[in-house]
Amino acid sequence: MAKETSTAPTTTVNFITWIKDNLPVVIVTIFSIILFIMIGFEGGPPQLLNVIVTGCMWALLATGLALVFGVMNIPHFAHGESFMVGAYIAYFTFTPLNKIFLATGSKFLIYLGPFLAIIAAGLAGSVLGIIIEKLVFAPLRHRTKEGWIMNAFLLTVGMSFVLTNGTTLAMGPNFRGIPRYFDVPSVEIMGAFIAVDRIVAAIISLVTIGLLWFFLRWTKLGRAIRAVSQDETGAQLVGINLDFIQTFTFSLATGMAAISGASLLFMFQAYPTVGLTPLYFAWYVVMLVGLGNVAGAIVGGFLVALLQSGTQLFIGLSWQSVVPTAIMVLVLMLAPSGIFGSEVKGVQEQ
Amino acid sequence: MLELKNLDSGYDFLQVLWEVSFTVEQGEFVALIGPNGAGKSTTLRTIAGLIKPKGGDILFNGESIKAKAPHLISRMGISYVSEALNLFTDMSVKENLLLGAYAVKEKETQLKTLDYVFELFPRLQERKDQLAGTMSGGERKMLAIARGMMSNPTLMLVDEPSLGLQPNLTYAVFEALLKLRKQGVTILLVEQNVNATLDITDRAYILEQGKIVMSGPSHEMKANDHVRNAYLGI
Repeated sequence: MAKETSTAPTTTVNFITWIKDNLPVVIVTIFSIILFIMIGFEGGPPQLLNVIVTGCMWALLATGLALVFGVMNIPHFAHGESFMVGAYIAYFTFTPLNKIFLATGSKFLIYLGPFLAIIAAGLAGSVLGIIIEKLVFAPLRHRTKEGWIMNAFLLTVGMSFVLTNGTTLAMGPNFRGIPRYFDVPSVEIMGAFIAVDRIVAAIISLVTIGLLWFFLRWTKLGRAIRAVSQDETGAQLVGINLDFIQTFTFSLATGMAAISGASLLFMFQAYPTVGLTPLYFAWYVVMLVGLGNVAGAIVGGFLVALLQSGTQLFIGLSWQSVVPTAIMVLVLMLAPSGIFGSEVKGVQEQ
Repeated sequence: MLELKNLDSGYDFLQVLWEVSFTVEQGEFVALIGPNGAGKSTTLRTIAGLIKPKGGDILFNGESIKAKAPHLISRMGISYVSEALNLFTDMSVKENLLLGAYAVKEKETQLKTLDYVFELFPRLQERKDQLAGTMSGGERKMLAIARGMMSNPTLMLVDEPSLGLQPNLTYAVFEALLKLRKQGVTILLVEQNVNATLDITDRAYILEQGKIVMSGPSHEMKANDHVRNAYLGI
């Protein structure tokens, strides 16, 4: 009722209590704005754009992790392998397609090639997700729920080994990369030259995240996914098919990781352990903002990118993993459930 | 409509129900009464499919449902309002209700039921944009019952709706159940408030230590010596 009597003093008091209640968020927001401005001064527009591109990428990977943890309570340590599979699929789709399209000489087809490769990677990733879920997690889930998080964690680590070594066996340890997707000159933005590939990658991640947000927020299936993450029993009682939702969510997350692997093929070449770095950064993100928090993961992606860029610029390139890790440790000490403090219900329940 | 045949059920190695048999006919309002730990909630959870029975059978409209998954049982028209409520706490009241109608395909039927539910619980309409987790205990109970109604069930299993509610809210909840019953919904009610329950139900079963020990029309049960001693404190 206090809100209705919004005289000047109460508003101030309300504002102060709001800040007190959301202290971590406020500190983080102020800190990020300062860092963003400092990076802008020191590195100029190219660095800022770099932050945005990397941020989109971490956000895309981290939302997948957050979804899988929120809905299925799986700490997914084989998420990087989905990224790797995406990169391979994109490479093996794009290279032959590009040859054929270049031969036709049609501009439209040449520009279409990269998108086809990325879509193919996304589809292949989703199918891989369905196979893994049905083959590994569904049988375990039906057998026992006891010690689920630990078991699921060990399974994903094992899966990561199998997938990386299987890929080494099948493809060899060679790097397979492409110099660029779009063979056009860089675009000038605010006096800086930015490769078109980077811009396209950023747009693809933003569009994917936007679509995911819309899907989770406004569609019936998306609502069912959120329902499962909030209360599994309640979801079953209203007639939601738990198995279907879990397989679907896993496939969605895997597909998104594959899309990010594919759209960054020009930066990360395809090789068996390419997924490790992105996986670690995606984990920094979800630990920073709180496990299972999808909205937080989007913000967190940009936060980690900001930290990385800042470290590169002010401390040195080789420190760019050290500083985010140190900050993550600090956050876990001060706010164990992450800065956006959403407690994950599933963990306590199971 | 619902028939339990020698049902054995429980958790892992702990058997709670021993050869429980009872029936609920179409349109009836039946109470299941018993002391704490007698297995009342276990009975409802087993019917809803959340626990798989160890033996015996559950028939719904003549079809065995004991091996069915919970979501399929829910889609057959059995709605279980659990003691823990199992609401989606980070979603609005309206979203909770719409999820209750998840298995209902036609958008129009959904909205019609929504209107009806709001009419029944005006409080929920006032708070339709509020997060379910921020509501008071009584409101949450109402929401759970309302969500259970959204799938247009033919049988509702209601678990301890008066638990932790102040008396006037308890009556509001009971009134809602009576209204539902008038609509032709069959209700199986588990309650601690034996006195009020026997007043509003048609028949009652008494469950003690996992076994049905007594059954009969509610008004007769109220006059029974054992019931008066053990549950009514007279």
